[in-house]
Amino acid sequence: MKKISRRSFVPSGVLGSILMPGIIDQLMASDNQTSSLHHPAKAKSVIFLFMSGGVSHVDSFDPKPKLISDHGKKVTFEHPETKNRPGYENIYLKKPDWKFSPRGKSGIEVSDLFPNVGNQIDEIALIRSMHTSHSNHYNATLGMHTGSFNFSRPSIGSWVSYGLGNMNKNLPSFLVIAPQMPYAGTQVWSADFLPGEFQGTRVAPGNEPITNLIPRAISKEKQVQDLSALDAFNKIHLGTRMSDDVLKARIKSFETAFGMQSEMPSALDLSSESKNTLDLYGLSLGQKDGFGWQCLVARRLVERGVRFVELIHTGSSANWDSHGNMADHGRLAKEVDLPIAGLLKDLKMRGLMDDVLVVWTTEFGRTPFNNTADNKGREHHNWAFSSWLAGAGVKPGITYGKTDEYGIKPAENPVHIHDFHATILHLMGIDHERLTYRHGGRDYRLTDVHGRVVSDILS
Amino acid sequence: MFNLNHLITISIAVLVFIPWLNAPFLQLTLAQTDADLFESKIRPIFVEKCQKCHGPDKQKAGLRLDHKAGWQNPGDRGAIIVPGKPDESLLLKVISYNDPLLKMPPDKKLSDQEVNAIRLWVNQGAVDPRVLNDKKVGSISLDQAKAHWSFKPIQNNFDLKGLNSKPIDFFISQKLKEINLPLSPKADKRTLIRRLYYDITGLPPSYSQVINFLNDNSPNATEKVIDQLFSSSNFGENAGRRWLDLVRFADTAGENSDHPLPYAYKYRDYVIKSFNNNKPYDQFLKEQIAGDIYAAKNPTPSNSDQIIATGFLAIARRFGHEIEKEMHLTHEDAIDTLGKSLLGLTLGCARCHDHKYDPISAKDYYALYGILESTRFPFPGCEPKQQPKDLVSIEISNLADPTIIALQKKIEKQKAELAKILVEEGAFNQSLLASIKTPVLLGKGVLKDGSEQDIATTAIEGNLPICVTTGQMIQLSLFPQKNHGMDSTKVEFVIQEVDGKRQLWNVKTDLIDVFLQSNPAKDSYGNPSVWAFFDCNNGLRLLPETLLDFQKNIGLNIWRNGDTPTVFVNASNNLINAWTKLPSRSFFMHPGQNGAVSLAWFSPINGKITIQGNLKDVHPGGIDGVDWKLELFNANIQPSFNALKLLAEKKKSLNIELVKLQQDLPVPQLAYAVAEKAGKNIKLHLRGDPERLGDEVPRRWLEILGANNISKPSASGREDLALWVTSPANPLTARVMVNRIWGHYFGKGIVKSANDFGLRGEVPTHPELLDWLASEFIRSGWNIKHIHKLIVLSDAYQQSSISSVNGLEKDTKNDFYWRMDKRRLKAEEIRDSLLFCAGDLDNTPGIKHPFPPESTWNFTQHNPFNANYDHNKRSVYLMVKRNSRHQFLGLFDGADPNTTTPLRQVTTVPTQALYFMNDPFFHLEAEKLATIAFAFREYEKIVNTLFQISLQRNPTESEKTIVLSLLNPKADKNLTIKDWASVARLLLASNEFVFLD
Repeated sequence: MKKISRRSFVPSGVLGSILMPGIIDQLMASDNQTSSLHHPAKAKSVIFLFMSGGVSHVDSFDPKPKLISDHGKKVTFEHPETKNRPGYENIYLKKPDWKFSPRGKSGIEVSDLFPNVGNQIDEIALIRSMHTSHSNHYNATLGMHTGSFNFSRPSIGSWVSYGLGNMNKNLPSFLVIAPQMPYAGTQVWSADFLPGEFQGTRVAPGNEPITNLIPRAISKEKQVQDLSALDAFNKIHLGTRMSDDVLKARIKSFETAFGMQSEMPSALDLSSESKNTLDLYGLSLGQKDGFGWQCLVARRLVERGVRFVELIHTGSSANWDSHGNMADHGRLAKEVDLPIAGLLKDLKMRGLMDDVLVVWTTEFGRTPFNNTADNKGREHHNWAFSSWLAGAGVKPGITYGKTDEYGIKPAENPVHIHDFHATILHLMGIDHERLTYRHGGRDYRLTDVHGRVVSDILS
Repeated sequence: MFNLNHLITISIAVLVFIPWLNAPFLQLTLAQTDADLFESKIRPIFVEKCQKCHGPDKQKAGLRLDHKAGWQNPGDRGAIIVPGKPDESLLLKVISYNDPLLKMPPDKKLSDQEVNAIRLWVNQGAVDPRVLNDKKVGSISLDQAKAHWSFKPIQNNFDLKGLNSKPIDFFISQKLKEINLPLSPKADKRTLIRRLYYDITGLPPSYSQVINFLNDNSPNATEKVIDQLFSSSNFGENAGRRWLDLVRFADTAGENSDHPLPYAYKYRDYVIKSFNNNKPYDQFLKEQIAGDIYAAKNPTPSNSDQIIATGFLAIARRFGHEIEKEMHLTHEDAIDTLGKSLLGLTLGCARCHDHKYDPISAKDYYALYGILESTRFPFPGCEPKQQPKDLVSIEISNLADPTIIALQKKIEKQKAELAKILVEEGAFNQSLLASIKTPVLLGKGVLKDGSEQDIATTAIEGNLPICVTTGQMIQLSLFPQKNHGMDSTKVEFVIQEVDGKRQLWNVKTDLIDVFLQSNPAKDSYGNPSVWAFFDCNNGLRLLPETLLDFQKNIGLNIWRNGDTPTVFVNASNNLINAWTKLPSRSFFMHPGQNGAVSLAWFSPINGKITIQGNLKDVHPGGIDGVDWKLELFNANIQPSFNALKLLAEKKKSLNIELVKLQQDLPVPQLAYAVAEKAGKNIKLHLRGDPERLGDEVPRRWLEILGANNISKPSASGREDLALWVTSPANPLTARVMVNRIWGHYFGKGIVKSANDFGLRGEVPTHPELLDWLASEFIRSGWNIKHIHKLIVLSDAYQQSSISSVNGLEKDTKNDFYWRMDKRRLKAEEIRDSLLFCAGDLDNTPGIKHPFPPESTWNFTQHNPFNANYDHNKRSVYLMVKRNSRHQFLGLFDGADPNTTTPLRQVTTVPTQALYFMNDPFFHLEAEKLATIAFAFREYEKIVNTLFQISLQRNPTESEKTIVLSLLNPKADKNLTIKDWASVARLLLASNEFVFLD
């Protein structure tokens, strides 16, 4: 294992360019390598499951018996979503629509909204005291990904790639499988001021999952011929310019791209998966979309050494934003519940739970109250929500933190998104205070000036 | 002893030929006064090497070297400094490491030059102007700040007479002597002309332009090409693009729904035009900060550009959902961009607290903030308020026309009269409201997004009949919830008389076909003023404005007040697909942003009625629906209402006249620009939180640059700001700009941190060169092209990019400029070159983007604006979005439209290679290039043409072999365009095409 030091730029003969160690690993080295940065890493890869729109915690992972017994009780709060809003002068508690029951050996309660994930609860460290700083989708989504609620900043996947480089030279280090655009658009996976290398590459289900991945040459032979000619041509050009690493790196990048053309489709090709495996994810033979497809592809990508895979469900519309009717949560949970449980089981069976960190989250929760108790929907609620971690380095079958009796505010061990980020980086062997990047006269980090590693959930 | 005093008098001409002499240049050419010596040499040594332990924070051995009195007190071992007597001064002993007990600084001895400078200074009497001053600017001491190179005055007394090389080359060679390297030989002519074309215009030369240059053996051949390139409009596009990088230009606002800025392109074009016209840089900056103020003083048609120029401020990013609530972030963006791009200062860092490293206090920040707060920024639209406002009219040309002036006077009069009626109406309204007893609530409900509800069953229990008397009002009101954007609601509403004549009032049958005739409207029995449509925001106002066949949708007829609230019908027999699908023969209501819209029925009878109705959200997908209320007003309010009606009619006729008058005015030309507001100071935001206010901060200039107060408190202060920024006494502005121009050509600045000249930024590699360029810039009248030309005419710029082992060993990073650096083409250059080689480039100026009309906007964070408008013009004219980057520009390290980009990064990643392998546009352009070459029919000619167009040269023998390998095994005459396209792709994807030597 080779130690690489971040932020030691290798100057190149081509002006204005810097070769990051990660790029050199990827472009110039032939052997795969892993590295840890500040302390031994527990996880080599992350699968980040993002539920877009705001999942209701009190209907899923945070049981509140008092909310049922006090259903219809009037409460008073200066809440960002109801303050000064016509028709919301009075607010009333509203009971969950799903029944909770203890699951697994740990007996942690999960609702019937997520029965399959519930059955995997012994693998999971459930955080019931999450909170965030904005009640708007756009800002909260940006916050959950970049630690910044307004400005464009590098995404957590970019930070991890920047810190650790890649393990497979034929695949990008940060992939985002997103059938639709999320809130805040491409900023969600942007490298921003980090070098473009660390930007998330979007994979969208369909004929060409990555832009320009499909060879346009008439045959593989023709493409090999084209690339050999280009290689020969570029090497003549290199003749008097031997000292130039960037010219060499670009020559090499065509080889890598060629590799990616076969590596990526093979990662996306599920035909070698057994019927049993497909069943785990609720996939039918030949299916090429849906959250089950996203989850199985994620497993195949981390197997191939991709650092950070994010799965977005679903996008900026038709998502978990159930203002109108919470029944919609039922439809959405059906799309993800079995695949997520399948992913956890599959990773475990393959021994990958020791290397992979699975993160499940949303941008905020939903109000345990509404303007009438009969209102079928719930509003945005950034004061409290639930997220969970599972896999490498995570204590399995525990809960951390508590909300108050109604699920309105954290009552014990609050975890802000900055703490959440610090914990994920910690598991990757990264000290969130030391992974910095100098930009515009300032050292930036994912957690800004905040963040605390939630060490109680580490194994 | 080496006597520096003596050296100062030696002239340059002699020095150039003394190779052993490595002493810093400034000492040799400047006639220095004693104070100069202290400021230029001694103060920096004390600050950098001594004061950490002997300054305000620590006073080791009781010694302070940060003011004169500090070293005047003798220590245990006698006098620290004896003016005029270096040998008796303890200081000299310890810094020379000649004292047996004490060696200072302890970790590293000062250089001989530094020790000698101190010796000279003591010898001359140790002139030290410093008094004890613990004053801080920001978090650092004034002393430390003043010692920082970039805050010192620009040296402008260079004596370069008798120099036998170009000044730039003199400075570069002087420094190269330190590592004993010469400049590289001149680049070959083909390399040079490609470099000049790309660097000056961003486009490649044509093959014939290269050949002409190769054949031109006249001594000024290069200068001729350079002059021609600087006069080409492509220069402005290239230099303009760099400026747009710097000012984070975009065609969208960047808030949560990324609203388009349809007029931003005018600023883009202004920038390009300014570079092409070689507008003096100080004027260029002044216009961008305060152009509207200048234009107002001297309104001529050509001055409308000055208003457009303030787009620099106006395009500051907008944030959040309701952008007015986040203006403090927009101001931060404007201050940060102004600081970094014009001054090389990271001013944005001082929003929450004093700058950690630079002499910039939070007060400085809020002094500038007050100036922006006294400036009206245009409103681009956002999710809750879709339509833009506060755009600036640039119709200056007509102001002088007497008929227009007369017309405008009339319009003003009309407006005043209207305003009077509005006041009257408002007062009447209040009294009307007061006279109404509390209404009886008949029902209310919440209509969720996308849902449908019956009024009768949910609102009125059992649908019991209600007693009404003549003139009583029944009102159905629709209220916005959090958002009123997608609240169009289909309304059915029927009132049935229970006994008597069993009359029936149905909003649909009564109103659809006669909808626009009047408000209030009669019923089908001929009773006048039975139906009415109200804007319920602040009392009741009849909706005043009618629109027939809105946006050419036949039958879509509207009553409204402004954008919303509205009541409208689809009177046609077809479904209308406007902002949403509107079923045929239906009646709709849409609340306003701040209040309800209502449908009122004034009872023409005394009797009993039942009410039935249905509400349906016909625009699902918004974040919420509407709330509704049904009420009965007991009093007979029809008489008062009739008076209100009269006022409304008067208002309507005035409005019609006004519209007619306004139609006679020329179509307003608008700019996305700023305007003046009443000037006011603001209070400091504690820790950057706009809700936690501290003391008021007067508007003024940065303390470190003079702290000048604004001259006219009633104005914003931008006019002062423009002067402060461009004052020749400001040590930053000229340095920052010449450093950028240098960076344009050499890929790195003399100060590498081009946006940060502060204490944590890089120090200049060639400080004298930087100051010479800056002083030359100011001396030439801020002549931008002059500096560009000085650089491209230098030997340093024209040297070869070929490396030498010697050079690489001594200076890997080429900080000394012993060769030219290669560079990769920028994203725009790659795209423009592909278009150019395919014969596809439309080299005409850009135009405005085909954004959808503002009236149709309904962008949300769920469905933000996200269009692409491609064309074959140069890439600087592509539409730039803030929230989703242009895919190609993003892939090849294009500028970030959300923050200032001082220099493009260059990354090499496999997804770029995939572009050159598989992108449809790339394949298309290659095939077009092949088609052009194919027209020459003969094999040899086709190959040569492909090379000539793409690389501006003919192939070598070994390259011909490679080409052949691509075309084999086909016989010559069977070769098709498709075959040749693979050769074109080879050339367009080659390193030679993408990198510039």
